Amino acid sequence: MSATTPASFAGTPAAAKRRGGRAAITLLPFAVLISLFLVAPTLSLIWGSFHDNKTGVFTFENYSYLQHPLDLVPFKNSLELSLASTVVGGLVGLLIAQAIVSSRRPIIQEIATTFSSVAANFAGVPLAFAFIATLGANGLLTRQLLNAGVDLYGGGFKLYSVLGLTIVYAYWEIPLMVLVMLPPLQAMKPAWREAAEILGASRWQYLRSVAIPILMTPFISSLLLLYANAFGAYATAYGLTDGFVALVPIQISNLINGDISFDPGQADALAIGLAVIMVVCIGGRAILERRSARWLAR
Amino acid sequence: MAYDPLLARIDQLSGAFNAGQIDRRQFLKGLVGLGLSLPAISVIVAACSTAATPSPAALASATAVPATASAAAASLAAMSPTAMATADLTALIAAAKAEGDIYQTGIPPEWVNYQAIFDLWKQDYGIPIDGTATEGEYSSGQELDSIKNTGKPDVGDVGIAFAVQAKQQGLSAPYKNSHWDDIPDNAKDADGYWCCNYWGAQAFAVNTDAVKIPINDWKDLLDPSLKNAVGIDGDPTKANDSFFAVWSAAIANGGGVDNIQPGIDFMNKLQQSGNLTAARASDANIISGEVKIAIKWDYLGLAVRDKAAGAPNITVTIPSSGSLASPYADIIAAKAPHPNAAKLWQELIYSDAAQLLFLGGYAHPIRYNVLNAAGLIPAGLAAKLPSADLYKNVTLVTDITKITAAQAVLGTGWKIVINS
Repeated sequence: MSATTPASFAGTPAAAKRRGGRAAITLLPFAVLISLFLVAPTLSLIWGSFHDNKTGVFTFENYSYLQHPLDLVPFKNSLELSLASTVVGGLVGLLIAQAIVSSRRPIIQEIATTFSSVAANFAGVPLAFAFIATLGANGLLTRQLLNAGVDLYGGGFKLYSVLGLTIVYAYWEIPLMVLVMLPPLQAMKPAWREAAEILGASRWQYLRSVAIPILMTPFISSLLLLYANAFGAYATAYGLTDGFVALVPIQISNLINGDISFDPGQADALAIGLAVIMVVCIGGRAILERRSARWLAR
Repeated sequence: MAYDPLLARIDQLSGAFNAGQIDRRQFLKGLVGLGLSLPAISVIVAACSTAATPSPAALASATAVPATASAAAASLAAMSPTAMATADLTALIAAAKAEGDIYQTGIPPEWVNYQAIFDLWKQDYGIPIDGTATEGEYSSGQELDSIKNTGKPDVGDVGIAFAVQAKQQGLSAPYKNSHWDDIPDNAKDADGYWCCNYWGAQAFAVNTDAVKIPINDWKDLLDPSLKNAVGIDGDPTKANDSFFAVWSAAIANGGGVDNIQPGIDFMNKLQQSGNLTAARASDANIISGEVKIAIKWDYLGLAVRDKAAGAPNITVTIPSSGSLASPYADIIAAKAPHPNAAKLWQELIYSDAAQLLFLGGYAHPIRYNVLNAAGLIPAGLAAKLPSADLYKNVTLVTDITKITAAQAVLGTGWKIVINS
């Protein structure tokens, strides 16, 4: 973690050096925090995943799950769940964000933003209970639909499944998407559209050649954020399914605090698998952010 | 018979109890308040039922002896063939009173009716009980730590695995209570270092408003009408309750204490049939109807039945082909500061009266079968519990090597249930 000095910051080389030093000092608390809570645990995970947790001998055994189809089910479930909730959350969230921006009424924008911030953070056991009471086998909505002749559970639907979890995850993925897409949508300058129209562009041409290329990077980076968010979620899924739907975070928790399947080494290895996926998502987002920042800076 | 104010008051109390005006606990408190000794109370309670008031003869014989410590000892000895000699118990009571205190760890008043047992203790022996406020809620592991590190506790109530561990680590002292012979061999340490005091068995708590077919045994759970209806109490690789649910299912399917695999296979079948729900068999999910048949400890099922109070109607039953029971055990600390009080505590909790109080808290006392055979379980209480006949097929699991072995099999086997 090194403090980079932007070109505009430099006066004389000596001054730059001095300012750089000061910047490094102000960054110190952050650097300490990061090393204690991110770097050190990650190093310990990597170390632990390559060592037998009883004997301390170097081993690849902890990664043996990669060869066992049954042990890969949590990865398959997690990937499916994250992908599905990202697609649903991303598309619906984008449409809502666009609707908010086009409304041009500050009050609607404020209400929608506030609600989104609350909903995006409503998760965990309370959310699980809310959904059990609504869409559970004996939930309010389930029973009302049954009265109306629609038998959800008879038709094979289950709240406690990847599909059910997708719906629950969408509850916070949609508002999260709204929150992250509002700024880029608001930053689209009317002047760009006017300029395109003056040059004779149709609505479609404007979208294809101007709006979509500019918004594509924030859109994809938002999707990556949603994806990582879904992949790492634990409490909601556990509160809802009690481990019946095997997901990577739940599997890790079983391995570190289960009385029965205690194996911290394998938990480390699973966590590394999870971390690789997270790094790809968040790293991808960081790269894309940098590209779109050029256009959307206000 | 001449008018006796004590008899009249007992009559009045039992009348109120039988008429449902007071609950069992108030009834016992009333009896205790009259200054009766504990064996006398147990005779009255046993004689009482919703059907009949106690006969004057039973009352007279119960109250004929004055409620002094030595008389309590005399009638305690008279009630059980294995009871310790009167002189010994009198001496023990005197010695315990001389110590003047008992310090308990991990014995909370609200658990399995311990408060009523505390009341009995204070009434009969007048010895103050310490430690409850600070260590009452300790887990078994914390209890052993306290015995090891503070040296304060005299007695503790621990899970079976911890009782065995306490003996191995030299933390417990041997003592064989007067009812030692009543206690099954696998529920006590041969050398007296621990003794099981009560147990819970895996049961079905059935929401009879939602489930219209009779549920008597494991195979009934596979009925096609029970889609998403059957739940267990948590992830069995983590929670002891659901671990025993899976293990119990083995009994009806060719396995048992020595072989959990048929239980895992049964749960897999239940999962494949769509009848097993992932919703946890928690109180909230049972009462809301999300889980219509909960497989869990009988005492928890009975408690949620009472809590639901008819909305919905819940019936608790023990599977007819059997289930497994897990006991708690009582230990005396090796370095107990009040060793005689600790021994007297053992005498109390294995006595008929205290064992019936455990049952009143829905925990089955370790001498349940003996009490039942002797007809000492009040009909009013028995009516609130699954039938005694069903409990004959319950197997007490006390061998911790078998528990460890079953856990190991479950660790790999459960993945197949949830991942395939």
